[in-house]
Amino acid sequence: MSPSVVLRIRDLRKHYPARRSLWSGQQHGQVRAVDGVSLDLLYAELLALVGESGCGKSTLLLTLMGLERPTAGRVVFEEQDIVGLSETRMNAIRRRIQMVFQDPYESLNPTMTVGDIVAEPLAVHGLAPDKRARGAQACRALEDVGLMPAGAFLHRRPHELSGGQRQRVAVAVALVLGPDVLLADEPVSMLDVSVRAGILNLLDSLRRTRGISVLFVTHDLSTAAHIADRVAVMYLGRIVEVGFTPEVLRAPVHPYTRALISVVPVPNPRQRRQPALLPGEPPDPIDVPVGCRFHPRCPVALDRCRRVDPPLVKVGGRHHLAACLRAEAPLGKYP
Amino acid sequence: MPRLNDVTDTFLWGGATDRDADPIRRALRHNRMALFGAALLTSAVAAAALAQWIAPYDPGATLQVTVEDVYAPPSAAHWLGTDDAGRDVLTNLIYGARVSLTVGFFASFISVFIGGAIGTVAGFFGGRAERVLMRFTDVVLVIPDLPLAIVLVALTRPGLINVIVVIGIVGWTGTARLVRSQTLSVKQRKFVLRARAVGASNLRILVRHIFPLVLPLIAVNTVLVMSLAILNESTLSFLGLSDPSRTSWGQMLNSAFTRGAMSAGAWWALVPPGAGIVWVVLGCSLLGYGLERVLNPRVASHHLSSAHPTSPKSAKTKRGHPHQTSPGTEFSEAPVVLDVRGASVDFTASGCPPLHAVEDVSFRLHCGEMLGVVGESGCGKTTLMLSLLRLLPTGGRIVSGEVRLSGRNLVAMGEKEMADLRWKEMAVVFQSAMSALNPIRTVGDQIAEAILRHEPRAKKIDGRVRELLDMVGIGPGRQHQYPHQYSGGMRQRAMIAMALACRPTVLFADEPTTALDVMVQAQILDVLDRLRRDLGLAVLLVTHDLGVVAEICDSVLVMYGGVVAEYADVDALFNRPRHPYTRELLRAFPDLSRPKAELVAIPGSPPSPNALPPGCRFAPRCPDASSRCHAEQPTLHILDGRHQVRCHLVESNSGVGSAHEPFRRT
Repeated sequence: MSPSVVLRIRDLRKHYPARRSLWSGQQHGQVRAVDGVSLDLLYAELLALVGESGCGKSTLLLTLMGLERPTAGRVVFEEQDIVGLSETRMNAIRRRIQMVFQDPYESLNPTMTVGDIVAEPLAVHGLAPDKRARGAQACRALEDVGLMPAGAFLHRRPHELSGGQRQRVAVAVALVLGPDVLLADEPVSMLDVSVRAGILNLLDSLRRTRGISVLFVTHDLSTAAHIADRVAVMYLGRIVEVGFTPEVLRAPVHPYTRALISVVPVPNPRQRRQPALLPGEPPDPIDVPVGCRFHPRCPVALDRCRRVDPPLVKVGGRHHLAACLRAEAPLGKYP
Repeated sequence: MPRLNDVTDTFLWGGATDRDADPIRRALRHNRMALFGAALLTSAVAAAALAQWIAPYDPGATLQVTVEDVYAPPSAAHWLGTDDAGRDVLTNLIYGARVSLTVGFFASFISVFIGGAIGTVAGFFGGRAERVLMRFTDVVLVIPDLPLAIVLVALTRPGLINVIVVIGIVGWTGTARLVRSQTLSVKQRKFVLRARAVGASNLRILVRHIFPLVLPLIAVNTVLVMSLAILNESTLSFLGLSDPSRTSWGQMLNSAFTRGAMSAGAWWALVPPGAGIVWVVLGCSLLGYGLERVLNPRVASHHLSSAHPTSPKSAKTKRGHPHQTSPGTEFSEAPVVLDVRGASVDFTASGCPPLHAVEDVSFRLHCGEMLGVVGESGCGKTTLMLSLLRLLPTGGRIVSGEVRLSGRNLVAMGEKEMADLRWKEMAVVFQSAMSALNPIRTVGDQIAEAILRHEPRAKKIDGRVRELLDMVGIGPGRQHQYPHQYSGGMRQRAMIAMALACRPTVLFADEPTTALDVMVQAQILDVLDRLRRDLGLAVLLVTHDLGVVAEICDSVLVMYGGVVAEYADVDALFNRPRHPYTRELLRAFPDLSRPKAELVAIPGSPPSPNALPPGCRFAPRCPDASSRCHAEQPTLHILDGRHQVRCHLVESNSGVGSAHEPFRRT
């Protein structure tokens, strides 16, 4: 393992039982929410995971946190496979891998004060000798996320804060344990554009100053473009393309990535383009197509795509990978 | 006072803004029903507690009973008369309250304890434990509780403790079901998941995260269970199943009935105990329901109500500044469909000064034009849109200005006329297409209904429905499908088809793509774009997404703090923004085509309508604000074409540095 890889995910799968028959209780099919994800999270990098809703982004994060038990696969953190660890040993890992949730209105308990919310992880892990020490650490965490003076926030309750402040509190909760990895599930999608930048810059500074690796889940490619070092594109439970952000945006290989880039609205009326609308409806993870999972909507599908499930292979630059049969053949001109 | 944004949020979408904060105290303060119930209950408790001192006679004292004392009518000596044994009815009534309330209190405590424990375990742990416990609860629930209680009391010795225990253990099922469902719903909230992500134990999650949110509901439930327990106790003692050594209301009724009070015409032996029961049960019920109205959002009504019709007199024209735009570019030829001049919206609530949610908004919407209304949340975008449709929550209305739809002033229009116009001329598409479609009827049916509602004699409905669905890109095969068979994007397109059912001239779309993915968003925007080109539909698009605006709108209205900060053609707004707020918004917005540019947040948050700054509303957050900006409200300056800016700096022509130069990011 190269030393800079913090979290190594290999062929991770999470399948849920789907419909049960009303009579026999028998199970029909599976929801393949995460279906063979392989991804490396590097030291102090900001990796954006982009995809449509239902593609399994959030399930992947919950699986990495050990909140959902994976069906198969490995997650290696510090030379140790953390899949299937006992709850006690997983709890030790959780100190090192923390998560920020999407909805700052829902992810903070409305009946607790900000101070108690931020200090709770310390109490859970017995990391501070007493209440005062916990309060002091909570204060420091609040200041780290830019809520100053921290004393003014300790005794407030979540409903007294703005959306941006709440999300900062949520980041403080994740930071107070001093994690190495931060999993952020759409941390800005519920916030106003005017405060998004603040949270994004905060995440960016955390990995710079503390060497925290951030896995940032988003559906918004333009946000990813601004802050991520690398972008991974997920489609129907699998990573279909991953690479350094400028490279993926400039020379996308997978037709899905290309379509995704073409539909992102650009805030400049002089750059109106014709978006490449994909035919068909977003796919259903119960019913994953045979062969390449993207072929039914793919504008450039080959006959082979219906039969062969393409692996993630090196294309173009140093670390640019894509799962497309077209990419293996000499790169033709895409329509 | 909550911010207006919160008020409308709660009204329109039942947002959980501050409902969770100390609910019981708020409930009591704002709810007369609960207060009245609490007063009834408190007086009964006081009477029971002070019985020794306030009762005129000693209940145990053996009186010299004479014939005149039996069923003596109310008199100065006996205010409520006497009963069959010559005892004072008032004294019995007061002492009877002790039994009722004691039984009610302890029995409900037992019920709620059992029910709460079962409900919590079932809701929190789920799985097999839940199945076993809830089936057991269901079985107990179908056994009628009163006959069961009668049998149980009759089998044991009728005494106070027995009655309490029996009533307690037959009355827990409702609590168990309630607590289970509440536990289940709290358990699914994200903060519980977050606590688990931190590594918190089950016990901790229960005690710190779930109980505090289940407790208010249990409190309400306890009050209601108590009233049932009191009724059950009265019934049991009326049937003679009570401790004979203690006077209770049921017992008083029992002896009055069996010992000829009816034939003696002694109503005073019957009415007071009955009234006592009603008093206490009513107190419990009112308190319980009053609390529930506040604590359980589904009970209180949150639905849209149309605003009060404004009398033409109150609709003064012009509060602000004249609107003299010479409409700019390509749309100057097209007819004006919607002409809004100086519209202001106030929210009034009793006891509060009116909130100026929207002030002096003017714009013109031409046939086939798409106008984007942008701004942060809480800036009045949605309020403006709803006010034009006269669909504001109660208390909100247009207080001045004119809204002309093809020449007719909507502000002065009667409610009935307005209701007729609403779907025919002005249609709406909301953000949540999921909840706006009826799940048990086919989409085609629902569109047909929309047509028939306004054109009862319409012909060839089926063909028209197919045509409408085709317009939004939904194939004819899907007409007879149900909403759940549609994807999110298709549902939103079906909503657009429904909005077009009566061939409106203006379409209002409130964040129509916010909950959808970019791929689906692109489809919806494509549909909207085609519609206004093909049908000449005028579209007012409320959104927070500047990218969407740049992509398809013709003109943009930037709202801040309830006023128009800037109104311009889309090219001018994005390339020559004149208001610092517009400029800052653009700097905060990520742009895929310029990934290197730094994103800059706007510090602070928009002002709330009850605390507007004295000067320019953006001054507290504005990087260019001068002392004048803080003191004096800027007027609306009209620049070239229909470019309007509400900013002092435009006058000096120096403030917004990039004026007249193509806008560039730092």
